[in-house]
Amino acid sequence: MGISPIEYHSWKGERTAQNLRLYVIARSVFRHKIRSTGVIILLILGFLLVHTLSLLLIILVSHDRLEASDMSSYLGSGLFATFAMLLAAVVTSDLISEDLANSSFVLYFSRALKVRDYLAGKAAGALLVMSLLCAFPPVLVALVSIATQTGGDYAYGFGVLGKTALVGALVTLFFVPFGLMISSFTKRKSYAAVGTFMSFFGLAVVSGIFYEFDHGWRVISPIDALSILSTWFLEGDVPGYVDKGALVLIVASLIIVPAAVVYFRLTRQVVGK
Amino acid sequence: MLMSFQCLAWPMAGEIAARKETGFGANSIHISARNVAVSFGSVTALDGFTADIPRGIVGLLGPNGAGKSTFIKASLGLLTLDKGTISVGGLDSQTQSLRIRDNVGYMPEHDCLIPSVNAVELVSYLAMISGMVSLDAMQRSHEVLDFVGIGEERYRPIKSYSTGMKQKAKLAQAIVHDPKLLFLDEPTSGMDPQGREELLSLVKKMASSEKTIVVSSHILQDVERICDYAVIIDSGKLVRSGEMKTLLAGEEGVRSLTVRGSVTALARYVRALEQVCQIVDRKDEVGEQVTLLIRGCEDGNKVFRLAAENGVQVRSLHPERLDLEEVFLRAFRGGGRDGH
Repeated sequence: MGISPIEYHSWKGERTAQNLRLYVIARSVFRHKIRSTGVIILLILGFLLVHTLSLLLIILVSHDRLEASDMSSYLGSGLFATFAMLLAAVVTSDLISEDLANSSFVLYFSRALKVRDYLAGKAAGALLVMSLLCAFPPVLVALVSIATQTGGDYAYGFGVLGKTALVGALVTLFFVPFGLMISSFTKRKSYAAVGTFMSFFGLAVVSGIFYEFDHGWRVISPIDALSILSTWFLEGDVPGYVDKGALVLIVASLIIVPAAVVYFRLTRQVVGK
Repeated sequence: MLMSFQCLAWPMAGEIAARKETGFGANSIHISARNVAVSFGSVTALDGFTADIPRGIVGLLGPNGAGKSTFIKASLGLLTLDKGTISVGGLDSQTQSLRIRDNVGYMPEHDCLIPSVNAVELVSYLAMISGMVSLDAMQRSHEVLDFVGIGEERYRPIKSYSTGMKQKAKLAQAIVHDPKLLFLDEPTSGMDPQGREELLSLVKKMASSEKTIVVSSHILQDVERICDYAVIIDSGKLVRSGEMKTLLAGEEGVRSLTVRGSVTALARYVRALEQVCQIVDRKDEVGEQVTLLIRGCEDGNKVFRLAAENGVQVRSLHPERLDLEEVFLRAFRGGGRDGH
């Protein structure tokens, strides 16, 4: 304890940031993730392979206005959704599994933190990272396209820009709840990452098998579902064999059901019974 | 310089009002459990547990699996009670658990630290989750890490820490937001004697800041050294509770007498002593020394006179004093001698 031991001093300040707990967790996740080698590699690769080519085409090829079909072929290609899926698998893998492995839930929940806020904070951090690949670059591409267009129809271009932002937000959101759910099932982040990827891959395989008998099964594949949804948003139509209701139901259930599952799992973990 | 800066940075305004509002006013802290039952499947962890825990340093004693950790978690609202109520600072643990946890620090028994971060990052992060703004959290983290004795190691990842340093880091995160009530679950578990000594001294220092500190431990010497009050649990039930000095005080009228002499002289003396007072207990020590617990010999002169007559030396005669281990064992024997 040294020659002059340090005494305990009460803290005389006020705790005023109770409402910022969600933000604190989200910021911590974001900071941690953007320093992660795997995430950096995926972001760079994704940006180069998915966005840079479209950006170059837009700059080099003369265009009258930003066309919805151009954005649709760019965002609905499947490559965009595939990279989003890979990034989500890496980003969400350790968000809950690491706390499970370290038994560190108790550090969070011995404080006045709700399960809801903990999960929202983790998800918000992951969504911020996802948006670096899925939301901001498409909007940037659309903005560059508008800035370099030769015609004067800006209103249409901004309409497409809005739809692009919507698609970007949807792709950002789509994979995160599922990744969180898988992360809450295991204490190993590698299992969580592979589990998330393989779950989506498994659905794609099932979709591919049944597609031979009925093309409507294509919506079971998360990547295809997102591609079709992007086309629907941007161009206003879906292929004739796709049931719009089934498409919405599958996309919604892949977001809502995992979110509910992870919430109830964590509530059980925290409350202990 | 540091003190004046602290005064500027952390004005007192609002703190007292905030604590009164949450039921954690200066005189209100205590825990009251009434007929609490908690079970995990077929295992009953707390079984009609009833106890009152006053302010000060309180020892929660019991063998492994007695229900100590379960009681702490139930007090924090981290477990659902099958029946009964726990009130912490006047707040109900089941319906007002967030308000309780806002004013409580918890040092868990098991390893729970995030290994990839360093102590400063971890403690300041948890301070912010406790509601501190970033600057305050960082300043206070360094302050509590200084207090617990984590020096430059605070910048090393926690995975490189020894058991003792991990325990100190756990203590730092528990006190960073300056809670009024502190639960320490087996704080000296796995520590070497020097580390234990340091940690117990930290606990004593904290108690001077009017905190209520509940120390759950099965290391009786630790509890005896630092606690003002003890609660003994076994099989989820209260076995015994009371102020430490009351628990450690022997039965009234019982004295401990140690005499030395030859085997035959000692035997003669004991027989003579039995004529004038009751011998409650007897311990032979290497044949030539006997320690007796005697009752009914308030007049010590008789004891000395008989010793002189029988040729034995009185080495000591004093009122009975117990250690916590004896209290603990007697409590588990179902009350010990005459229910004491």
